[in-house]
Amino acid sequence: MKKRTKVLALVLALGMVLTGCGSSSAGGNGSGDGIKDLVTWETSNREMENMVILNTEMANDLNVLGNCVEGLLETDAQGKLIPGLAKEWGTEDGGLTWTFKLREGVKWVDVNGNEKADCTAQDFVTGLEWVMNFHKNGAANTSMPTSLIKGAGEYYEYTKNLPAEEALSMDNTKFLEMVGIETPDDYTVVYHCITNATYFDTVCPSACLYPMSAAFVAEVGVENVLGSSNETIWYNGPYTLTEYIQGNTKTLTKNPTYWDKECSLFDTVTIRIIEDITVGFQLYQNGELDHIDLSEANLRTIWNDENNEYRDQLVEKLPRKYSYQMHFNYDKYNEDGTPDTNYNTAIANEAFRQSIYYGLDLTKYFERTNFINPLKCENNAYTMKGLLYFSDGTEYTAKVKELLGFGESDGKTPVRFDGAKAQELKAKAMEELSAKGVTFPVELDYYIVAGSQNALDTATVLQQIFSECLGDDYIKLNVGTYVSSQTKEVIQPQLHSFVINGWGADYGDPQNFLGQETYGEDTAYYSNNYSNINNATDADLIATYKEFTDLVNKANAITDDMDARYFAYAEAEAYMLQHALSVPTLLDISWQLTHVNDYTRSNAMFGIQNYMYKNWETSVDAYTTEQYDAIAEEFYK
Amino acid sequence: MVKYTIKRLLQTLVTVLIVATIVFLLMRMLPTDYFFTEDQLMKLTPEQKQEQLEAAGLTDPVGEQLIRFYGQILRFDFGESRRIQSGVDVVKVIGSKFTVSMRLGCTALVISLFVGVFIDIIQTINKDKLLDHIGTGYTIFVNAVPSLVSYSLVLVFGSTVLGLPSLYSTRNPGPSSILPVVCLSLASIAHYALWTRRYMVDELNKDYIKLARVKGMSFNSIMVKHVFKNAFVPLVQYIPTSFLYTIGGSLLVERFFSVPGMGPLLNDAIIRYDVNVVQTLAIIYGTMGTVGVFLGDVLMMLLDPRIKLVGKGETR
Repeated sequence: MKKRTKVLALVLALGMVLTGCGSSSAGGNGSGDGIKDLVTWETSNREMENMVILNTEMANDLNVLGNCVEGLLETDAQGKLIPGLAKEWGTEDGGLTWTFKLREGVKWVDVNGNEKADCTAQDFVTGLEWVMNFHKNGAANTSMPTSLIKGAGEYYEYTKNLPAEEALSMDNTKFLEMVGIETPDDYTVVYHCITNATYFDTVCPSACLYPMSAAFVAEVGVENVLGSSNETIWYNGPYTLTEYIQGNTKTLTKNPTYWDKECSLFDTVTIRIIEDITVGFQLYQNGELDHIDLSEANLRTIWNDENNEYRDQLVEKLPRKYSYQMHFNYDKYNEDGTPDTNYNTAIANEAFRQSIYYGLDLTKYFERTNFINPLKCENNAYTMKGLLYFSDGTEYTAKVKELLGFGESDGKTPVRFDGAKAQELKAKAMEELSAKGVTFPVELDYYIVAGSQNALDTATVLQQIFSECLGDDYIKLNVGTYVSSQTKEVIQPQLHSFVINGWGADYGDPQNFLGQETYGEDTAYYSNNYSNINNATDADLIATYKEFTDLVNKANAITDDMDARYFAYAEAEAYMLQHALSVPTLLDISWQLTHVNDYTRSNAMFGIQNYMYKNWETSVDAYTTEQYDAIAEEFYK
Repeated sequence: MVKYTIKRLLQTLVTVLIVATIVFLLMRMLPTDYFFTEDQLMKLTPEQKQEQLEAAGLTDPVGEQLIRFYGQILRFDFGESRRIQSGVDVVKVIGSKFTVSMRLGCTALVISLFVGVFIDIIQTINKDKLLDHIGTGYTIFVNAVPSLVSYSLVLVFGSTVLGLPSLYSTRNPGPSSILPVVCLSLASIAHYALWTRRYMVDELNKDYIKLARVKGMSFNSIMVKHVFKNAFVPLVQYIPTSFLYTIGGSLLVERFFSVPGMGPLLNDAIIRYDVNVVQTLAIIYGTMGTVGVFLGDVLMMLLDPRIKLVGKGETR
C-alpha cells in the first residue's frame, strides 16, 4: 500500500470510529399497494416544543400530538365530523346541552403500547380541568371553553387567585361543582353550554377538549406533566411517538391497541426536519421523502422542461384551511410614534378602500403560489371555502359570492377585478380625500420578514400590482422589514397599513370568522390586534362597522334554523366585503410531488386532525398528474 | 506552574461569571413581550400576561432575580426550558445535543488537521509548482464561495452521485455523518493548509535551515525535525480551543443536514426567549473559550521550551 493511501485509510478509519458506525436504516417504502413506512417532513423553524396536547395550540405540536391522543370526534376527507372516541353525540335543546356516548374498550398505553388504563368519561373532565386551571396550563387555548362552557371562565379566575401549590393539587371535585360538564356514567360526557352553541360538536376536534388520564398525572406528578417526554406521556391515539430527536426526527409507530381496527395506518411515520423545501426537493429526488412541496423556482424548472423526469408527476395540492385577507389598520402610526394621519384619513374613506378591493388584479401575486393555475388561488370570501354547507348542499362561500354578484371566472382575470369601476372609485376617493387635506400618493406600509428572498419577491410583485393597477399618483406601497417577530415589531406598534394574514377556523361556524372583525367586542381577534378599529375616529367608518356587527349578532341569535343562520352570516359577510372593510386575497393552493393521495386525508377546515395519519391512501410509485386529476374528478362528483 | 494554573482557573471563573451576568442582564433588558409566543401575545389579556410574568418571577427587581440566578448556578440548577422543550431540564436538553456535535466536530477536526497538514506539506515541498497552485486554488475556492453554496454542492454530489444519506440520522450515524463532516472539514482544511504552509515556508527560509543543509542533513530530516516542528507551534495554540468549540457545533452545517446538535440551539433559544437555555449556553461557551486559551498556552509551552508562561512575576 502506498504511503498516501495509508494516510487516507487512516483518516477514514478514524472518521468511522469517531462518528460511530450504526446499522443501516430500515426505513423506506414498503411493498404491496401502498407505503407502509411513510417518511414525511417539517421545516426546522416548525419544530415541536411541547409534549402535552392540552398545553399547546401550536400547529407544530398538534400535527404530531394529534396522532398520539384522540378526542371525541374526528373529521373525514370531506371535512365532516365522524365518530372518534364518541360513537354517538347530539343535542336535544338547540345546542345548550351536548351529550357524547363514548365507546368502551379504549385504552391508554405507554410509548411501547403497554396498557396503562381505560379511557373513560372522567378523562374528559380531567382534561378540561387541566386546560382551565390557570396554574396547570399556560397556553392560550382557554378562549373556546371560556366562551362556550358554563362556568369554565369562572373556574379559570378561581384557580388564578389560588396559591400555585393549592391549584396544582386540586382534583375534579370543585371543578365539577363550578363547570358545566358531567359524567352520568363512565362512558357518557355531557357539556352544558352558555348559549345555544349549535356548532359545539365542531369544537370537539380541537385540542382544548381532549382527554387526559388522572392516573397519568398521578404517575408522573402534577409538577412534571409539562416536562413530560415522548417516553412518559400516555397515548390513546393511532400512534405512539417512539422516537423524538429534537431538530432531526420524530417517529410515530402504530399503536397495537388502537380502537379502530378497520382503519388503515402506517407501520411507522417518520417526520424528518429539513432546512427548507429546496433541501427537501433534493431528498425527494433521492427517495428519502415520500412527498415534497415545490417552491416557485422548483415548480418553474420542472414545468418549463418537458423532458424533466418529474413533469408528469406534478400534482396540485388541496387548499390549506386558511382564508387569506388584506387586513387594513385603521389606526396606523409612523415609526417615530406619531399617528399616520394621511393614511388613517384615506383608509377610512370607503371609495379609497373599494378602489383597492376592485382595482387590484392579483393574478401575478397568485402566481407566486401557483403559477400554473393562478386563478385557482383567487379568494372572494372572508370565510374559508368548504367550512360548511347549507342543507341543500350549497357551499357557504358560494352563497356569499352570489350575494356579492360575482359570477364564474373566465379563466383569464380574477372575478373581482373591475378596472373601470376602480378608476371611478379612485377619482371619487381623490376628490373626497383632497377636500379633507389628504396628499397623494397615499403611502401604504407593508412589512415582511428580513432576509427572506421569497417574501421580498412576493412583496415586489405586490408593489408592481399596486403601481400598475392603481397608479403611482394614487398609492405608493412601501416594503419594510422586521427581524424576528411581526407581532412585536410591527403589529403592536401599529406600523402596518395592512397585513396579509390567513385565518384557520377553530370550529365549524361562520361566527368563528366574522366574529374576529366585529366592532367593540373584546373577543374580536382582528379588530383588537390588526385593524385597531376600536381606536378609529371616522364616524362613517364606525357606523359601517357597527352595522356589520349588528348583522353578525343577528346571525348569532339564530339557533333553531341552521340555513337561516348561515344565510344571515352570508349577508353580514357580503356587507363587510362590499364596504371593503377587509379585502380577500388568497387561497393557498400550491404544487407538490407526492406518493400520498391527499383526497383520502382528513380535510376539515377546523380542528387539528388534518395531519392525522389515518386512512391515508398512498402509492409506492409517485402519483402522476393524470392519476391525480382523475382522483380529483371522482372526489368532487 | 501550579500557581499559574490556579491563577488562570480563577480568572476563568471570574470571566465566566461576568459573561453570565452580562447575558442575564441583556435578556432582562428585552421587553417582556418576548416571554410570550406570537399566539399568546394576541390572545392573552394584559392581566393574563402579567400573571404569567409574575409566576415566572420576571416582575421581581432585577437585583433580586440576579441573586436568585447566582444561587441557582452555585447549586448547578440551570432550570427548565420554556420553549425549546417545554418543562424539560436545560441540562437534559443540552446534554442530548452535546455528544452529537462533539462527535461530528472532533471527527472533522481530526480530518482537518491530518488533511490540512498533509496538503500543506505537499504544497511546501512543491512550492510554486502545480501541486502548490492546486492547494492554493482549493484554499481560495473554499474561502471565496459562500458556505451554503459549498454545502449544496456537497449535498448534491454526495447524495446523487455517491448515494450517501442527505440528512443525519441517529439510526444510521456512520454513513449519514459523512456529508456533514465533509462540510465541517472544508473550511478547516483550508485554514490549516494555508497557515501551516505559511509558517513552513517562513521556517525554510531561515538561516538555521540553510546551515543544516550545508552540514549535510537530509531534506526529510530537516523537514520533520526542524521545519514542521517549529511551524506547528503557532497552530498548536488553537487546537484545544478548536476541540472545545466542536461541542458548540456549527449553526449552518447542523441546520443544513438536520443534525440534532448544539449549533442552532443558542440561536433558537434567543429567538424564542428561552432564558434558561441562553444563560446556560453562555456559561458553557464562556468556559470553553477561556479554558481553551489556557490549554493552548500550556500545550505551546510543552512543545517549545523557549516559551515561558510565568516569568518575573508576569503571565502571558
